[in-house]
Amino acid sequence: MDGRLRALAIRSLFLFLLSLVLVAGFWYHREFYQIGFTNLLIIGGFVTFLVIWAARLAMTGELPRGRPSGELSFTLEEGDRLLKRVARSVVRPSEDLAAPSAGHVVRAKYETGTEFARLLIEDARRAFLSDLTDEDARQAGFRSASDLREAGTSRWRWHPADVVTILRVRALGGSR
Amino acid sequence: MNLSSAVVLVGVAADGWLLAFMAIRGRRPWLQSTFAACALSFLVVGAWFVGRNEGLLPPVPDNLVLGLMLLTHALAAILVLGLIHGEALPRRRAVTFLLLAPIPVLAYLAPLEGWTVATAYEGNVLGGFLVACLGIALGETIYARRASPMFATHAFWLSVGVIALIVAGPIYTYELEFIGRTPLAGANLAAPLALACFARVALQTDPFPISPRPAKGRTTAGGIREADAIVFDERRPKYALRTAEEEAASGRPTLIVSREPVKITTSDVTSASFAHDRNAALRTLTTVSEFLASAPGGFVVLEDPADLSALSGWRAVLEIAVRLRHVARDSGSTVVVCPSRLTAAELTALKALNLPWWPMADAATEIIAILAQSFGTGASRLFDSFCHAHGIRREDATTDHVHALQDFLTRALTELSAVVGGPAAHGLQVQYEAAASVLRSFASQGAVEIARGKWPSRRSSETDIELVVTAADYWKGKEMEELFAAADAVSEREPLFEKARLVFVEQLGDAGEGVLRTQLARLGKRPEELERTDLVRIADRATVDLGSLAEIVDVPQEKERIQQQIESIRQKLELIAEGEE
Repeated sequence: MDGRLRALAIRSLFLFLLSLVLVAGFWYHREFYQIGFTNLLIIGGFVTFLVIWAARLAMTGELPRGRPSGELSFTLEEGDRLLKRVARSVVRPSEDLAAPSAGHVVRAKYETGTEFARLLIEDARRAFLSDLTDEDARQAGFRSASDLREAGTSRWRWHPADVVTILRVRALGGSR
Repeated sequence: MNLSSAVVLVGVAADGWLLAFMAIRGRRPWLQSTFAACALSFLVVGAWFVGRNEGLLPPVPDNLVLGLMLLTHALAAILVLGLIHGEALPRRRAVTFLLLAPIPVLAYLAPLEGWTVATAYEGNVLGGFLVACLGIALGETIYARRASPMFATHAFWLSVGVIALIVAGPIYTYELEFIGRTPLAGANLAAPLALACFARVALQTDPFPISPRPAKGRTTAGGIREADAIVFDERRPKYALRTAEEEAASGRPTLIVSREPVKITTSDVTSASFAHDRNAALRTLTTVSEFLASAPGGFVVLEDPADLSALSGWRAVLEIAVRLRHVARDSGSTVVVCPSRLTAAELTALKALNLPWWPMADAATEIIAILAQSFGTGASRLFDSFCHAHGIRREDATTDHVHALQDFLTRALTELSAVVGGPAAHGLQVQYEAAASVLRSFASQGAVEIARGKWPSRRSSETDIELVVTAADYWKGKEMEELFAAADAVSEREPLFEKARLVFVEQLGDAGEGVLRTQLARLGKRPEELERTDLVRIADRATVDLGSLAEIVDVPQEKERIQQQIESIRQKLELIAEGEE
C-alpha cells in the first residue's frame, strides 16, 4: 500500500476510535448531562472542539510529531537522491543553519522554492569539514569525502576549518 | 462484579505492571523508589476498593484507607517534583518529602472532625490538602513547560498525568455526588494513565549508562578545585581530556560525557556516551547530576556540547550549562564545557553566561613556535615532516606527541651528523637541546598553567625575529636546510615498529605496546625486522584477537568502544602499510 494511503488509513482509524470514545463518554455520563442544556452545550461543545482540533492536526500530518519547522534547500540532484533513498544524510554549514533538532520535521525544498518532501531528522552531529570521512560522504550521496568537499566549496565557499552539521534524515512522504 | 470494580481492577493490574516495569528499566534508585511508593499506594487503595465492593476483604478501618489516599496525592506531587527537578542533589530532593508531613496530623484529626474517604474532597482542610497536592504538581508542570525549553515536552506529559488524576479524582467525585451515586472512595480511575505518563518521562530522562562506576563519597582530590562550570576554550577538546586523565589519576572521580565512546583507556575515567535523540541534552544533565550526587567533588567533562546542540537545540544546551553550574557549586565539583564546533552565535550566548573562560593553547601552534625559536621559519616544515612520519594530522597533535617529536628530532640530527661535522653539528645539537627543553617544559604544563596565557607562541612573537636571525646567521642557512632534508628522510625511514606502536598506544594506552609486541612474537619477528606486509597481517590478527575480547564484554557501550578502537587500529595500520609502498 502506498505510504500516504497507509498514513491516511491510520489517521482515519485514530479519529474513528476517538469518536467512539466521545460517544461512549456522553452515554456513560448521560445522567450528568440531564442537568440541563447549558451544561451539555458547554461541556459537550468543549470536548467536540478538542476532537475537531485533534482531527485537524491528524489530517494535516502534524500528529504525532508536530508542525514542520525550518527548511532545507536542495538542488534537483540532491533532492532526487533523498527521495530515492540513495542518500540518507545531509551535510550543511553549521553557521546560520535553520534546521530543527532531532526528532522534528523539516520542509525540504528545491532551490526554486518548491517543497518536495518533509524530512524527519533522525540524528544530527557536527564535525569539522576536514574530519568528514568517505563514509559520511557516501551517506550523503557522494562518492568520497573530497567529492563532498568539492561540491560544498563551490556552493558555500567553505574551508577545511569550517564546521558542518550532518543530519541523518528520512523522507516522510510525497509533496504537499 | 460491577463495572466500577472491573475498571478499577484493570487499573490495579496496570499499576502493578508499571511498578515492575520501572523497577526493571529505571536507573535512578531514588526516583524508582518514589515511583514505587506512589504506584503501590494507588494499587493498595484500588485493591481495597475492589475487595470492599465485592465483599472479598474484611472491613478495614476507614482512617487507614484515608491515610493511604492522602499518601497517593502527596506522593504523586513528590514524584512530579522529583521528575522536574531530578538533577537536584539529595538534600534538595528531601525537601519535597516535606509534603508528607501533614499526613499524620490529618489522619489524627480525621475521626475527630468526621472526615471519611467518601467525603474526602469536600471543602475542609482534608480536601484542601488533597487538592493542594494536585495543584502543586500541576502548577510545577505548567511552570516547567513555560520556563524550560529542555523540559517542555516532558512537562506536557506530566501535565496530562496530573490533569487525568484531577479529572478522575475530585472532579469525578463531585460529578458522582451531584447525580447521587456513591463515589469511588479513594480509587482513582486515571491512576494507570497518570503513572504511565510519569513512567514515560522518568525513562526518557534517565541517565545514560556509565562505566566504570565511581567510588561513592565526597572527594577532595584533584588539581582543579574550582566548584564551577568552566569553559575550556580550545578548538578541539585536547586539554579537557588530558585534564580529565590527570584528575582521574589523582584519585578524583571523573566522568567524560561525549557523543561517541571515549578513547581514553585509563581505567579510572568513567565515561558515558549520549544517545542520538532529542532527549540527549536532558539525559546528559541527569547523567552528570547523578554522577556528582554519588561522588561530590568529582570532575566532569562535557566533550560535545555542539552535538548536543544539533540533537536537542542550543537553548537546551544553555540550560544545561546553567543548571550544571548550580550542581557543581552545590556539590563542590568541577564541570568542564568544551565549546569545540559551536557556531559564532552559540559562542556569544555561552560567553553571556559569564562562566569562567579558560583559553587553551593549540599544541601544534605552540610546538611550531618552540621549534621556530631554534630552527627559524623552517619549524613548520620540520613539524609537518614529523606529522607525516607518524601518520597524524597537524590539528591532531597534542602534548602527548612531544616525546615522539624529540625522538624524531634526535634521529634527524643523527642523520645530519654524518654530513655536517665539527662545530656545526655541535651547535645544531645545542639548538636542539634548547628546543627539547622548552618542549618538555611546555608539555608538562597543565590546564591551569596554560590558562594563564603564557604560551610559547605569545612569548616568541616578541623575541623570535631576533632568534631567527641569530640562528640563520650562525648556520648561514645551509645546515638548517640540511636538517630539514634529514628530517624529511627520517620521515620516510621512520621505523615501522615505532609507527605501529604509536597507533596501538594511541588507541589502547600503554597496554597497546604489549599487544603489538605479542603480535610480533607470533610472527616470530623482532621490531627492527618489521615489514609493511607484516603490518597488514598484524592488523588482521589484532582485529580477530581484540574482536574476541569485545565479544565477551557484556556492556554494549564498552563493546562498541572496543570495536571502534579495533577499526581505528586496522585503518591506521593499513594506511601506514600503503604509505610505505
